[in-house]
Amino acid sequence: MVDFVRWLAPVALVPVAVLAAPHCYAAQYLTLAQAQAAMFPEAREFAPVPVRLSRDQAREIEQLTGVQVRVQEQPVWQVRAVDGPIGWFIVDEVYGKHELITYAVGLNADGSVRQIEVMDYRETYGYEIRNPAWRRQFSGKRQGDPLKLEQDIRNISGATLSCRHITEGVKRLLAFHQVVLR
Amino acid sequence: MTTSPLELRRARPLLGTLVEIRARGGDQAVLVRAIDSAFGAVARVHGLMSFHRARSDVGRVNRLAWHAPVRVHPWTYAVLSEAQRVALASDGLFDVTVAPRLVAHRLLPALRGAPAPDRRATYRDIRLLPGFKVRFARPLLLDLGGIAKGFAVDRAVEQLRAAGVHSGVVNAGGDLRCFGSLTERVHVRHPQCPALLVPLADVRDGAIATSAAYFSRRRYAGREVSAQVHPRRPGFVPEHSVSVAAAHCVTADAWTKVLLLGGARLLGRARRAGAFGHLLRAGADR
Repeated sequence: MVDFVRWLAPVALVPVAVLAAPHCYAAQYLTLAQAQAAMFPEAREFAPVPVRLSRDQAREIEQLTGVQVRVQEQPVWQVRAVDGPIGWFIVDEVYGKHELITYAVGLNADGSVRQIEVMDYRETYGYEIRNPAWRRQFSGKRQGDPLKLEQDIRNISGATLSCRHITEGVKRLLAFHQVVLR
Repeated sequence: MTTSPLELRRARPLLGTLVEIRARGGDQAVLVRAIDSAFGAVARVHGLMSFHRARSDVGRVNRLAWHAPVRVHPWTYAVLSEAQRVALASDGLFDVTVAPRLVAHRLLPALRGAPAPDRRATYRDIRLLPGFKVRFARPLLLDLGGIAKGFAVDRAVEQLRAAGVHSGVVNAGGDLRCFGSLTERVHVRHPQCPALLVPLADVRDGAIATSAAYFSRRRYAGREVSAQVHPRRPGFVPEHSVSVAAAHCVTADAWTKVLLLGGARLLGRARRAGAFGHLLRAGADR
């Protein structure tokens, strides 16, 4: 047929019941230090200034954005170059129904977004694992098995999850900057 | 001493999904620059073809092309041309003018300042004129959501290559293309259970895209399911998952929509267009 693709999956997939434990797809893209260097290559120093939001501040951010503030602790670094502060580096986490994403946002000194980088991505199917009816699909043999972390799965074709939660997270962080850092 | 070639892997939120780029070959500085410009190309496609942004090409065309020809970016024009080719080859099963129904279902926001779309409008009412100009023969709403991701992947690969990267993979929400000498194994989600990943294919220097409704159905309860709109069968919800391999991701992306709606009888037509489809259905449990 064609030389660039060799299909492996049969047209009728193996029933779910026959397959082993579900996979847990995870990818690490950047460590903290790598993310910092990637966003602010000119930086001399990342000075940690962790923030704990007061209830009023959290409420203000929620009112500004309509996005819920779930965690009051926010890891923040002030980024300094030779001439002084040039921006902020913030690490944030968002949880979707299936996914846990750690990402970093670099803000310029004026509060505009410089860059967004995903640091860690992990799919969790906890709700399915906790659901006994769903677990029974695995014939009862492997109920106690932990999720199989698939290191060798690198490419997934097919609907991945939306990045709606990151978009909301960034909106929340922009308000965070306005309320706390400015 | 032998060292394996350096590989960088990055992901950014773009086009409403996570876009992942992997690049190999070349030193760190080359890879970083290449990946940056590849993400830049994806961001540019996003800016041009976003339905939500009033000032994107799509936003402007939707507001103005019924009144007068609207000049668009050559990339937008290229996507529209490809969309029209696939529409013709699929007897209109692929149709970028189904947006009004998506708006009606609140899948897409209503567009302020756009004329009320004519219910009879189809892809045939899009006129592609010389000089990258677009004109509508009827008021309609255009949405390039079913094809722009694939196009963006192709532009990103172009950037990586131009920057001297030997091989890599660009994956935009499951529309992926790999280039270079390495064979990539691609997995797909089991249509019954997205937590199960099944080996789908080995690909070398080609693209694969997959369409299915599993996630949407689960996650957004009827929100994205109907994102697969059948132009002639309202309420149609596909059950299987479709993967398409092609030389370019834009082709693979568009034809998954056709095969998801049209099924196996369209495999031959897809093949003639350079899109090699693979329909997956879930095996019955016991």
